Amino acid sequence: MSTRFEHDDDGVLVIIGSGAGGGTLAHALARKGIKSVVLEAGKRYALEDIENDEWAMFEKISWLDERITAGPRQLSETFPNLPAWIVKGVGGSTIHWAGVALRFQPHEFRLHSEVGDIAGANLLDWPISYEELEPYYVQAERHMGVTGDASGMPLHDWNNNFMVLAEGARRVGYEKLRAGPMAINTRPYDDRPQCMQAGFCMQGCRFGAKWSTMYTDIPRAEATGYCEVRPNAMALTIEHDERGRVNAVVYADAEGNLQRQRARAVCVAGNSIESPRLLLNSHSALFPDGLANSSGQVGRNYMTHATACVFAEMPKPVNMHRGTTFAGIISDEARLDRSRGFVGGYTLEVMSLGLPFFAKFMDPANGGWGRDYAAILEKYDHLSGVWICGEDLPMEENGITLHDSRKDQYGLPVPIVYKGDHPNDEALRRHGQQQARSCYEAVGAVRVFDVPDFPTSHNVGTNRMSARPEDGVVNQWGQAHDIDNLFVSDGSQFTSSGAENPTLTIVALALRQADHIAERMSRGEL
Amino acid sequence: MPLAIGTTLSRRRFLTLTGVLAAGSLALSASTLWPRWARAEPELATRLLRLGRDIYPHEAIADRYYLAPLTPLLGEQRELIAAGLDDLDRRARAAHGRDYAAVDSAAEREALLRQIEDGEFFQAVRNTLVVGLYDTPELWQAHFGYEGSSWEQGGYVGRGYNDLVIDWL
Repeated sequence: MSTRFEHDDDGVLVIIGSGAGGGTLAHALARKGIKSVVLEAGKRYALEDIENDEWAMFEKISWLDERITAGPRQLSETFPNLPAWIVKGVGGSTIHWAGVALRFQPHEFRLHSEVGDIAGANLLDWPISYEELEPYYVQAERHMGVTGDASGMPLHDWNNNFMVLAEGARRVGYEKLRAGPMAINTRPYDDRPQCMQAGFCMQGCRFGAKWSTMYTDIPRAEATGYCEVRPNAMALTIEHDERGRVNAVVYADAEGNLQRQRARAVCVAGNSIESPRLLLNSHSALFPDGLANSSGQVGRNYMTHATACVFAEMPKPVNMHRGTTFAGIISDEARLDRSRGFVGGYTLEVMSLGLPFFAKFMDPANGGWGRDYAAILEKYDHLSGVWICGEDLPMEENGITLHDSRKDQYGLPVPIVYKGDHPNDEALRRHGQQQARSCYEAVGAVRVFDVPDFPTSHNVGTNRMSARPEDGVVNQWGQAHDIDNLFVSDGSQFTSSGAENPTLTIVALALRQADHIAERMSRGEL
Repeated sequence: MPLAIGTTLSRRRFLTLTGVLAAGSLALSASTLWPRWARAEPELATRLLRLGRDIYPHEAIADRYYLAPLTPLLGEQRELIAAGLDDLDRRARAAHGRDYAAVDSAAEREALLRQIEDGEFFQAVRNTLVVGLYDTPELWQAHFGYEGSSWEQGGYVGRGYNDLVIDWL
């Protein structure tokens, strides 16, 4: 905890962000004896700060700085300043994530090769294969404590919410029904306790049973003496020398004073809105369009997953709020099968919301009120819900840009987050809604209703990986094509979104990147 | 948030705006538990209450649970609320010949509200209520079957997270 590096120490790596990417990377590097300073925009929280209270935690940990939701989707009207639901705090969105730890499927790394060009989509293969990433998936699963083979922990028992959905799913012919894999301990593992089935996974795990860098990687990195984490440190620009190599990060500290941290290399891990925003804001005479942006792809290809929710009222109480929030997964539709009328697949993930959030999110549009609305809420304990996590195609026009004149409290241009749906996304969503409806009807639902998607927690793709520099921002190691000591270490490097939750893949990529950085340092290249 | 409303204004409003309260005497009977502003201005409170109860109708929930979350709104956007209620009464009189609260049919009142649901006044009330009303722990268990915070009791391990029997098929 006590390690302090000087601002003019140019031997440190500067890592921006402390979540799944940045936190994992800092820890992995520290264990190799590589020094880093982690700049985290948010505060540091203790386990005691975590409450089982939806609105209190929303107010406490969410990233609520000004953002503009743009694009032809309902979210632009219902949440005009909250395009994404992510965390500002040490640990980042690993405080908020629900623990679903699925690997991408092999074909998802080469979607373009599989399906060819699709009009309106900016498809590209990853420059890395599943086979190359697989050892790091195993490492990530052990590291995080993912239930299943890698950790040896059994999967969770099915909770009531999943029992309902799974029974319906079986009756419509689905077979791939599992209560996991999840990075939520089913028995003590890695000095953390087992899950108490408290619910409130997305408000932060009060027990520390769910993996989060907040109480694993970050304190462990600090304990090595090789890592200093600076909370309340908002990165504003990355600076470079006359040769175009990055050499410092300017940030605002807790008092709002500007500081400059010298850097041997910089790793950007601020999630898919903040990371491109920082690169774009770091424009210079040498890089007039922003850092690492010779391709023009910084901030583009923003993907959120094609999602929707379906809820159903059952004849008897389900008590969906008891137990883990995302308690079970149906993977039958995750395959690539163009006969369904769309490319890419989706997973169906059983989910719950507490009454306070459900009342707000059931229909956040202006019409979300009235006798029927209240009648559904009176049946809250009879509800079961499912969330569709579907492949969202990259589109060049979806992305992050900087507002011309509006600035936030740090003086940074406010990000505009533009997202529209590809017709493929819409077809996939409709299919998922229909299948979810069929599942619930098969298990005797009294009524089934669609719930619009919320501000997104899965934000990927805005600094994408590519084999060729002209197609993307970073190479297969997350290293910028244009600047050899600048890295992207979060979900923004995803080339495609897959049908799976992104966190496990972010962690696997960060572990792999740590090996790569260490190797290049040992060769004297960094 | 406690709200200081000038008592002079409240009394004057109460005295000058009488004769509106179709349901007023009924509501007043339980009004000792109302927030301070509502006790000071029962006429305003009663009109707002009718609106709130039409937006999220739960017959068994007491009036004070609708009024309490609306308290900050009265502090921050008082004029918007007063003007909005007046407008609603004008619409009700035009359509039904009486003030909004005096329209007997819930369906007719809902129809009036659908006309204004995109407006700033209606959304201010709705947005305040949808967060405040349903974030009231005293109401959760009895009215919705929601149990709230569980970590203090060790979560739901051994307390019914996986005890469902699907016996209705």
